[in-house]
Amino acid sequence: MRRLLTLIFFLSPFFLFAQKQVTGKVSSESGAAVPFATVKEKGKENTVSADGNGNYNITVTGNNAVLVFSSAEFQEKELRVGNNSRLDVQLASSTEMSEVIVTAFGIKKQKRSLGYSAAEVDGEELLKTRQPNLVNALQGKVAGVQINSGGGAPGQGASILIRGVKSLDPGKNSQPLFVIDGVVMDNSTNTVGQQAEVRGMSNRAADINPDDIESVSVLKGGAASALYGQAGSNGVVIITTKSGKAGKLQVGASISYGIDEVNKFPDVQMKYSQGFSGVYDRNSFWPSWGPTVADAKAIDPTHPNEIFHHYKQGYNDGSQFRASVNMSGGTEAALLSSSLSYFEQAGTIPFTTYKNISARVNGTFKFSSKLTFNPSVYYIKSGGYRYNADRFNESLTYWSPRWDVKDYIKPDGTMQSYGNNNPIFGAATNRFKDDVNRIIANMNLVYSPVKWFDLNYRFGMDQYSDFRSYTAPGPKGLVGERTYEDNGMGFVNEYRIQNRILNSNAIASFKKDWTSKFNTTLRLGNEVRDQYYNRLTAEGADLDIPDLLTLNNTKNRTASQYEERYRIVSAFGEFTSSYDNFLFLTVTGRNDWTSTLAPGNNSFFYPSVSLAGVFSDKIKLPSWWSYGKLRASWAEIGKDYEPYQLNTYYNSYVLQSSGQVLWTRSDSKGEASLKPERTTTLEFGTELRFFKNRLGVDFNWYKLNSRDQIIPVSISPTTGFTSIVSNAGEIENKGIELTLTGNPVKTKDFSWDVTVNYSANRNKVLSIKEGLSEIVVASQFGYVGSRVTLKYVPSYAVGNLYGTSYQRYYAGTTDDGVTVRNDLPIVIASTGSNRGFPVRDVTQRLLGNSQPKWIGGIVNTLRYKQFGLSFQFDAQQGMEKYNQLGNFMSAFGIAKYTEDRDTPQTYNGVLSDGTPNTQVVYSGQGVKPDGRNYGAGYYRNVFRGVSENFVEDASWVRLRNVTASYTLPTKWLGKSFVKNATVSITGNNLILWTDFSGYDPESSSFSAGSTAASGFAGFTYPAMRSVLFTINANF
Amino acid sequence: MKHNLLYIFLLVVLLPSCKKYLDVNENPNSPTRPPINGLLAQSTYQTALNVFRTGSLTANYVQYFASPNPASTSDIYEPIDASGTWTSIYNTMTDIYDMEKLGADVGSTEHQGVAKILMSINLKLLHDLWGSVPYSEALGATTLTPTYDDAKTLYDKSLALLDEGITLLGQSNSTFKLDNALDFVHKGNKAAWIKTANALKARYLLLTTKKTTFSADNVLAAVANAYTSNADDAQVTNFDIRNPWAQVALNNAALLLGGFLSTQYVNMMNGTTYGVTDPRLPLIATLTKFGDYRGTRNGVGRVGTGINQEESYISTTGYFSSTNSPLIIISYAEIKFIEAEARFRKGNDMPGAYAAYLDGIRASMNKIGVSTANRDLYVNDPLVSVGSGSLTLALIMREKYKALFLNPETWNDARRFNYAYKDFALPVNAVLTTFIRRLDYPSVELSRNGANVPTVGSLADKLWWDQ
Repeated sequence: MRRLLTLIFFLSPFFLFAQKQVTGKVSSESGAAVPFATVKEKGKENTVSADGNGNYNITVTGNNAVLVFSSAEFQEKELRVGNNSRLDVQLASSTEMSEVIVTAFGIKKQKRSLGYSAAEVDGEELLKTRQPNLVNALQGKVAGVQINSGGGAPGQGASILIRGVKSLDPGKNSQPLFVIDGVVMDNSTNTVGQQAEVRGMSNRAADINPDDIESVSVLKGGAASALYGQAGSNGVVIITTKSGKAGKLQVGASISYGIDEVNKFPDVQMKYSQGFSGVYDRNSFWPSWGPTVADAKAIDPTHPNEIFHHYKQGYNDGSQFRASVNMSGGTEAALLSSSLSYFEQAGTIPFTTYKNISARVNGTFKFSSKLTFNPSVYYIKSGGYRYNADRFNESLTYWSPRWDVKDYIKPDGTMQSYGNNNPIFGAATNRFKDDVNRIIANMNLVYSPVKWFDLNYRFGMDQYSDFRSYTAPGPKGLVGERTYEDNGMGFVNEYRIQNRILNSNAIASFKKDWTSKFNTTLRLGNEVRDQYYNRLTAEGADLDIPDLLTLNNTKNRTASQYEERYRIVSAFGEFTSSYDNFLFLTVTGRNDWTSTLAPGNNSFFYPSVSLAGVFSDKIKLPSWWSYGKLRASWAEIGKDYEPYQLNTYYNSYVLQSSGQVLWTRSDSKGEASLKPERTTTLEFGTELRFFKNRLGVDFNWYKLNSRDQIIPVSISPTTGFTSIVSNAGEIENKGIELTLTGNPVKTKDFSWDVTVNYSANRNKVLSIKEGLSEIVVASQFGYVGSRVTLKYVPSYAVGNLYGTSYQRYYAGTTDDGVTVRNDLPIVIASTGSNRGFPVRDVTQRLLGNSQPKWIGGIVNTLRYKQFGLSFQFDAQQGMEKYNQLGNFMSAFGIAKYTEDRDTPQTYNGVLSDGTPNTQVVYSGQGVKPDGRNYGAGYYRNVFRGVSENFVEDASWVRLRNVTASYTLPTKWLGKSFVKNATVSITGNNLILWTDFSGYDPESSSFSAGSTAASGFAGFTYPAMRSVLFTINANF
Repeated sequence: MKHNLLYIFLLVVLLPSCKKYLDVNENPNSPTRPPINGLLAQSTYQTALNVFRTGSLTANYVQYFASPNPASTSDIYEPIDASGTWTSIYNTMTDIYDMEKLGADVGSTEHQGVAKILMSINLKLLHDLWGSVPYSEALGATTLTPTYDDAKTLYDKSLALLDEGITLLGQSNSTFKLDNALDFVHKGNKAAWIKTANALKARYLLLTTKKTTFSADNVLAAVANAYTSNADDAQVTNFDIRNPWAQVALNNAALLLGGFLSTQYVNMMNGTTYGVTDPRLPLIATLTKFGDYRGTRNGVGRVGTGINQEESYISTTGYFSSTNSPLIIISYAEIKFIEAEARFRKGNDMPGAYAAYLDGIRASMNKIGVSTANRDLYVNDPLVSVGSGSLTLALIMREKYKALFLNPETWNDARRFNYAYKDFALPVNAVLTTFIRRLDYPSVELSRNGANVPTVGSLADKLWWDQ
């Protein structure tokens, strides 16, 4: 560091020579000031920065000097100084044609030259929502990108899916590659540790502080990500962090504080109290099958006047706080940018927390006009206490609303309970913590010896350790102590995870202008990626001292380890040619050599080609039509598989009580002959702009086929294995993406921008391995056989959910054995113990599909003088999810609809002979006024066993975000050291419209990395509604 | 030229090093060849667990247990999906298959011999539940969709495997010994394994009592080489944490309901059905809050909340369901009842049959820990000690039913005996009009090997030996 400062010190004087002073103001076309624009004397190392009001002051070499004005979101503009001592300049917004976008390997390209769809989201845009998780911040911003926040846990992972599920392998991550400043970055959601998949673990991209981001590019299709090869086959998210601007030291700071609450609770009945069959019992396991509250009160004078809404009672208000500071400055030759951030969140489930501390330094050093060096280091420490949301909700469901769940602990520290496990005591004592220490470092050398050639080399590293511990105290041994079931005799489990990605890539670029109209660029590159993963697990049970949480205090200890290496070497090339800046052709090719396939199959090549034509340059269009471009691309990507799948292995386990080691053949059969899988993408699109670019349309159609998929196929256990990894099956995704942008109003004081994103994806399983009829992806428990299963079945869409249903009356029509015929009447039993009630059909039928038919977002940004307002609506429509919470709420008499238990009714349907049902019955338990004994009652005997009741329409529309900001007038700040300051208030997830009866259907019961996450939204960590206050200031 | 040389240099240097660089796909975590005694541990331990798994499938059919829930599929003969048990048995057979192959490779006749016997036990479990299952094309992954072998062929095969096992264990040239600590059943005792093979043989041969080929003499010949005391029993007493039935009892205590005793069983034990109180019941079951033993009627479900001791469950301290309870594969008591039945069927040795019947009762009571006084009180009860002249098949079957509590062999007996236990009734809400005779194939097979799975008409269809 000291050497760096010395360098800056020595280099600076060389650039400080002066002859003439120029002042002026930089503004936009609408006349608004462009704050902090960069003003540079062309060809010289002479740069200044304008102030917050766009005013600048530069000393130049003379009248022939040319000034270059630039600022993010604006086109660069050059002006000769001439005799002027004042130069006011208006910059055109960069949403126009010369827009530059960051593509693969950080290569900046003119957007007009791209033959594929790519989107860029500005850092400012991401910051607006103040979402702690970068992935969530992208919600609704890019067409074709489906983002689901897993739930409201502090630091909880979010899943991102570009153009649908592309793999038949349920265990395979379908999420895009994340690249930060050219370094391949891990974005896994690690679920090592007990029930970690339901603890809302962070996806690793959540480590990144959104304040640090300059821009995010999303490469969606095969041609866009072709240079990244297989790693980019699910799309690529390229993060560019902020870099310094030459000039005075700039300091920015922001502080934000927010309050979170659960945004949606299920409806509960408030009529019936604790007990079973209408009989009150204040110690009963059954939370809500007792008598009415009034009857219970008559028996038990201590009974509260009203029972609790135990879900609302179980959750807290959460809070979040972030403070960050960034500093940048330097000269053209030596620039530094750094930031420091602290984030803290307390969750809505008591005792859940998350913290993130990050520090970042970026530098740019120009040793000469030929050699530039860009190092950067990003350090992150993140983690927190994660409680099992599934367990919390399950326990809350069992907890009787007759009792206050918040009264969870006795003065002696043991659990307060009438009998059942108190979920809050569980959250307080049964604790799972992760602690990530991560360094993402990167050094980049750019050597440009001659105009037509440059060489770019980058070495990057993403390394983290993740120390996890899962602990619970043992019983204190007090007389009459109630113990929390999951804590057992107390335990201490430790997981030490180390993960490292090393990445080296070199790209040589050759540029040639053959004529003034025809030019070409050839890039040749090499990439090496080296991944290493290591995990050590030590588990100890039965604590000697009940509350000493260390392995040293455990009676039974076990340990195990796992290690994995993966390496891939690639060579790639890209040839781009452009004709007259209106026709662009790009051809790429890449060859990979992977460590995970056997020699002979481990080398594979794949090409891509894309074409773009800006026809508006060549065809005379009406004056209102400003711009038109057509694009087409085709790409193929080859893909390898995970390590260690070529052989069959044996696994061991140890009997804890007696210590024998037992060996068993692995259930998974390796296949030495695995060959790479292939994904082909075909894409057509157009970009149109009208009315002086004030209305823009970007439309895209794509079709993506993944064949020879390497997937573990489930096979009959009679073969000696339950799965075999092989090349089998094909999946197809087809879809459209549409983005509309508009500026309905654009004046000096007032502007209004609208962006609308819409995308629809349809997918289909074309084939799976011969001889098999289905692939089970995931399945979740439901009472009395109402388990719901997500399966892939050939010729059906990805994400179908299957389960039990009500029996339909077919009479004459044939039953295909799969469809639930909603047009047919339900059969009502006329005999047996369930007479008068609908009949269950236990055949596994198709009940819904978990993939949305379409997703969309509308972002509005309004600005009036110093005031800014933006609001965003998001929608996901046309999908179903299994609400496991709903299944339990019916089984335990908690759901609102179970209040009908004492009302005589007749179920709609027909008897087995087709005649209408007229039987009058009660849905409640025990003997009813008609003298009949209904036993456990309709909801337990029939209703809860019908999956159809709980696979619900999970479509939603939400007011995702509203942000109002006010930039303090400069005059208020006067001559203080504060350059400018903005205060803002942000509301996230303010309104949700959905028919789903559980928590917010966007949340999921599975971890963010899981393909199954889409289908199950029962016992989730509920999503939250947040209101945040933020102050930003620049100094 | 200079450039060309450079390229050749790069190719020559980089390509082989690249190859070496990529050579990191050897799994550092797991071997491709296991230790043979590690397979022995797995095979013996899991075989006992498979007996437990099958026992839990059949416990409701023979009405040892009843489901706590009304009209539960496990009670009322609706098809159940036994994918879990099916998979576990084939997984175990896979490890046995590898142990036998490895044994042959290295010349360990002891491991080969035990492998044959264990394979026979698991194959027979499958045979008893489903009849026809994959075997000849199974386990080696030679095909991904193994065909199903004929049930009678499998029955013959399981008998043949026992003979092969006996022969192999009789040899003295084994290169490896059974590891005492890793043989969960007989602690490396070859002679004990040979006795067990004969005990199993007796059990298998008895299965065909409905067939004309049945030979009581063959059964008795096997019995002669089988067990002579409770100490010979094939059982496992080491568990990961606790006996799996203990886990059921513990779960029930922790509100994950299970292990509810059936009315049929409780009534057979508490004197209701037979007029004589069985002293084994208090050593197995929990008392109700009423101070007596009460069962749950199959198909009806629990009467109360299920957690207030309104019915009897297997006890967390009971003989079959405490932490270190033995998981019994086959016992001396069973051998005595097999002998009793064989002699009874032979017809010319009623005193011998009667003696074996009483020995069987005593063996069971001794094993369970009934005091001598209580044991003799029961045995000497005129309703039990009926005299050799009054011995009936029903008496033998009733006592065998009691002695083999939770063992899946009871379902074989029940089917051979046409469920003719006293007062044995169809479950309430039964979907069949007769007692259940077989299982439906599990979903794991239907979805992964559907083309080969034989069609099952009705769960009342009798398997070949039951016809």
